Amino acid sequence: MLLTHHRNSATCLAKQVKLATVTDQAVGVSLVGFSLLLFTYYSIWVIVLPFVDADHVLHQYFLPREYTVILPGVAALVVLLCIGAFVGVVMLKNHKPKKVD
Amino acid sequence: MTKLLEWVFGVLLLGAAWAFVTFDILNMNLPRTYREVAWPMPLYLLVTFGCYSLATVGYRVATFNDCDDAAKELQAQIKEAKEDLRKKGFKF
Repeated sequence: MLLTHHRNSATCLAKQVKLATVTDQAVGVSLVGFSLLLFTYYSIWVIVLPFVDADHVLHQYFLPREYTVILPGVAALVVLLCIGAFVGVVMLKNHKPKKVD
Repeated sequence: MTKLLEWVFGVLLLGAAWAFVTFDILNMNLPRTYREVAWPMPLYLLVTFGCYSLATVGYRVATFNDCDDAAKELQAQIKEAKEDLRKKGFKF
């Protein structure tokens, strides 16, 4: 619904009378902020740090370099597990045993 | 050449360039810092794409305006559809 133009939302966007609810805006802005933060931290970690001297104070704010691979890997696994669990729960809820004549 | 072939060709080219730098296939003896930056590149691009997706979803959630008229219209259409299907024997 968000990424496609539904007929109703097309007429709504033409008017633009009301903004999104406060919760919607808060959630949206926090998502954007979080992704920007994550991108900046990861970029500095992967690209900038190798060019910085080993005794610079910047290094103490970043984890050891092995974690650049481990953390995204673990996060991807967690996301996949959550999706799988969600699909499993939905399938279990909608499971209707077949009628036996 | 189809679009798919173009994309596959581009990806293969970039992948080959990355592999040459990471695994030092041609024995170019690049400085160590450049190799340190090059080897996590595929993962970094993946993380960047994930962040971009998250930011796009967040931005569209924040800017999606409330549509009272469309909501009412949609509710009326849902009621109408439910009545129609109930008449035809569909059980909810």
